[in-house]
Amino acid sequence: MKNFITIIKSDYLQRTRSYAFLITLCISLAVAYSFIPAPGASYSTIRIGDYLGFYNSSWIGYVTALMTSIFLSLVGFYLVNGTIKNDISSKIGQIIATTRVSNFGYLISKTISNFLLLCTIAFIVFIMSIILFFLYNDGFSFEILQFIIPYSVIAIPSLFFISVLAVLFEVFLGQKSILQNILFFFLFSIMALYKPGDTSKNFYLDAFGTKIITFQMEETVRNIVGHKDLGGINIGFVLGNVSEANYFVFDGVDFPIGYILSRLGWIIFGILLLGLASLFFHRFRVKERFQLKNKKTLLKTKNDNDIDISKLPKVSLSFKILPLIKTEFILLIRSGHKWLWILNIAGMLALCFAPLSIAHQMILPIVWFLQVGRWSSLVTKERIFSTHFFTFASYQPLKRLLLSQVLSGILLALLLALPLVLRYMIQLDFMHVISIILGGFFIVSLAVLTGILTKGKKLFEILFFMITYANINAVPFTDYFGGLHHQYSYLISTAILVILSLTISYSIRNIELKRI
Amino acid sequence: MKLDIQNVSKKYNSNKYGLKEYTLNIENGILGLLGPNGAGKSTLLKMIATISKPSNGSILLNKNNVVKDPNYMRKQLGYLPQDFGVYPNLNAYEFLEYMAALKGIGGTQLKQRIAFLLEGLNLTEVAKKPIGNYSGGMKQRIGIAQALLNHPKILLFDEPTVGLDPEERVRFRNLISELANDCIVILSSHIVSDIDTIADQVAIMKEGQLLCQGNQKTIIDTVKNKVFEMTMNKEDVPNFINHHITLNTIRKKEAVTVRYISEAHIESAIPCKATLEDAYLYTTKK
Repeated sequence: MKNFITIIKSDYLQRTRSYAFLITLCISLAVAYSFIPAPGASYSTIRIGDYLGFYNSSWIGYVTALMTSIFLSLVGFYLVNGTIKNDISSKIGQIIATTRVSNFGYLISKTISNFLLLCTIAFIVFIMSIILFFLYNDGFSFEILQFIIPYSVIAIPSLFFISVLAVLFEVFLGQKSILQNILFFFLFSIMALYKPGDTSKNFYLDAFGTKIITFQMEETVRNIVGHKDLGGINIGFVLGNVSEANYFVFDGVDFPIGYILSRLGWIIFGILLLGLASLFFHRFRVKERFQLKNKKTLLKTKNDNDIDISKLPKVSLSFKILPLIKTEFILLIRSGHKWLWILNIAGMLALCFAPLSIAHQMILPIVWFLQVGRWSSLVTKERIFSTHFFTFASYQPLKRLLLSQVLSGILLALLLALPLVLRYMIQLDFMHVISIILGGFFIVSLAVLTGILTKGKKLFEILFFMITYANINAVPFTDYFGGLHHQYSYLISTAILVILSLTISYSIRNIELKRI
Repeated sequence: MKLDIQNVSKKYNSNKYGLKEYTLNIENGILGLLGPNGAGKSTLLKMIATISKPSNGSILLNKNNVVKDPNYMRKQLGYLPQDFGVYPNLNAYEFLEYMAALKGIGGTQLKQRIAFLLEGLNLTEVAKKPIGNYSGGMKQRIGIAQALLNHPKILLFDEPTVGLDPEERVRFRNLISELANDCIVILSSHIVSDIDTIADQVAIMKEGQLLCQGNQKTIIDTVKNKVFEMTMNKEDVPNFINHHITLNTIRKKEAVTVRYISEAHIESAIPCKATLEDAYLYTTKK
C-alpha cells in the first residue's frame, strides 16, 4: 500500500511541478471567475428561459460545481491524457514493467494521479466560487454546505470517471493521440446530450450528474411561471438579454439516496472498467514507433576505408532561410499519422464544395484543429527531440530558426485554407481572405507563444481545443478567422494580437538564449 | 587557432559551481578532457560551444570574446553534444542539409560534402531512411557528420565514442587525428583509452576544477615509480584498500592482485610501468 501511494505521489508531483501546470492553474482561476458573471456582465452561464438565479450560496455553489463537472471533464481529459505515453517515451515504463506492480495497480495509480490533478484544479475553482460569493452575493447568508455538497456529489465522481476514461483511451488506443481526442469528443458529446426519459428518476445514467440540478432549477422556475414551456435551459457562455432577465431563488437540491448511490456507482463502474482494461494493458511491450523493422537497414561496419578529410568538398557561407523553412515544413508535414492527411484532404475538398458559410464557420476551424499536434510542436520539438544543443549553437538561431518555424507553420495553415481563400478571391471578397490569412497567423503565433512560454505542447492543445469548440458553437469572441460577421476593427485587433504574440515570443526566446 | 579560457566559472546557486575559475589555453591539436561524472567536462564544452554562458570569466577564440560574440565561434564550430537527439522523420541526408542551413553554410558543393561524409561514416546505404530507424551507433555517426559539415576550425566532442563498436572507435580515433592537423579538437571522456592514444594534451578535471594539464608524459610522470601490484588473500583486501590509493583489483580464485599507488615500496610488491589511467585515477582520488 505504501508503494502504491508513493507511485501516485511521485506521478502527481512530477506532473504538477511544471511551469505549464502553473499556467493551467492561472487559466483555471480566470475560467472559474467567468463561471459567475459579474453583476452587469453581458453574458450568463446558466439561464432557464428568461430566468437567472439570485447570487446566493446555493446558486453560486451549484452553478460552479455544474460548470466544473461539465467543462473540467471536457478539458480535463485533454489535460491528463498522455500519462502512459510519457512513461513509454521516458523509458520509465520499461522499468515499471520489471517491478512487482500489477497491471491493475499501475492503471489505478495513473487514474488516481489524473484524478488528483483534476481535483487540484477543481479545488481552485471551489475557492474562487466562495470568493465570488463574497464579491457578488445579493444579501444572502453564506452556507458552506451549499458549496461542499454539489462539488462532492456532482464534480468529484465526474472527474474520477474522466480520469478513468483518459487511462482507458491510452490502454486501448495506444499512441494514437489524435484518434483518442476525436473519439473522446464524440463520447463527451453523447454523455453531455443524454436526456433522461423521466427526468426525475433516470439520473443514474447521467455521467456528469448535472441533469438533476438543471431539472430542479427548471422545476423551481416552472413553479414561478406556472406553465410547462420555459423556453429551455442554456448552459455555457450565453450572450445578451441579461438586463431583461427575471430572477429566482434557488435553494439547492435534496439529493435522493438513489442518486448519491448512482454517483458512487459511476466510480465503481470506472474501477471495474480499469480492471477489465488491465487484462489488455500492454505492460510496455509496445513496438517502438521507429524500431528497426528491417534488418537490411543495419549498417555494415566492415568498411576499412577511413574518411579522407583533405578530399572533403569545400562549402561556402550561406545565410538563406529557405532551406530552414523547407525542412521545418517537411517536419510539419511528416509528423502525425498518414491517415490524418486523408482527413486533411477530405477537409480541403469540403472547403471547395460546402456552402461558403459552413465551409468558413465549421469546416475551416476543424481542418485547422486537426493540425494541433503539428503546430504544438513547432517551437517545442527541439526540447522534445533533444536537438536544442544543435539549434541553440546554430548561426543566429533567433532571427533565422524562429522565423522559419513561424513561416512554415503559417504556410501549412494557408495551404489547408487555400480552397476557401480561392473561393472568396473569385467572389472578390477580400475582407474574408484577409480574415482567413490573419487567422492562420493568429493560431500559429498562439502556438509559438504558448510553446515558448511553457516549453510544452499541452497548453496550446487545450487552448486550441477550447477555441475550436467555441468556434463550432459560433462564439464571436473566439472567432479568430472571421467566420462570423465583423467590423474592420476586428481585423486590426487580430493583427495587433498576432504582432503582440510574436513580439513576446521573440523577446522570451531571446532572453532564453541569453540565459542558457 | 588559439582558444583561451580565462577564469571561467559556472555558478548554479550560492554554493554550487559547475565550473570554478577554470583557466586553459589550447592551440591546434587534440586536448583530451578526463574526469569522473560531474567533473564539469560537459559544462565546459557547452560554454565553449556558446550554448551556455559562463557566470564569470571569458572565452577567447583568436582574441575574440565568444561570450559577447557567440556567432564568431558558431561560424567555425563543430560540436557533438553528449545527449543529442535527431528528428526521427527526416532521413540522414535531409537532417544534414537542415544542420548545414542552421550553421549558415551552403554552396554548390554542399550536397557533395554531405554525400562524402555519409560515405566516409559508412551511412550511405541508410541515407534515405528515416533516422528514427537507426541504431545508437548510427545516430552517433550522424552526430559526427553534422559536426564536420562546416569545415570547422574548432571541434568539440563530448563523450563521442558512446554507442560505437570497437571497430568504429578505432576509425573515429583515426578521423580525429587527421582533423587535428589544422584545428583545435577537444575530446571529453571518462574512458582513458579513448584519449591516451590520440591526445596531444590532457586535462584532468574534478568537481568543476582543473586538477592538472600537460602532455601525456608529464601527467604520467606524476605517478612514475609509484605504481605497484601486490597479490594477497581476499580477506586482506578491504584493509589494504583503506590504506592505499587502489587503482585496480583482479580476482584469481582465493587470491586478489591489487594495483595501487604508494610513495613507499612494500617488499612483496612488484613495481609497474605507470599509465595515463594510473595518473588519472591517482589525480582524481588523492
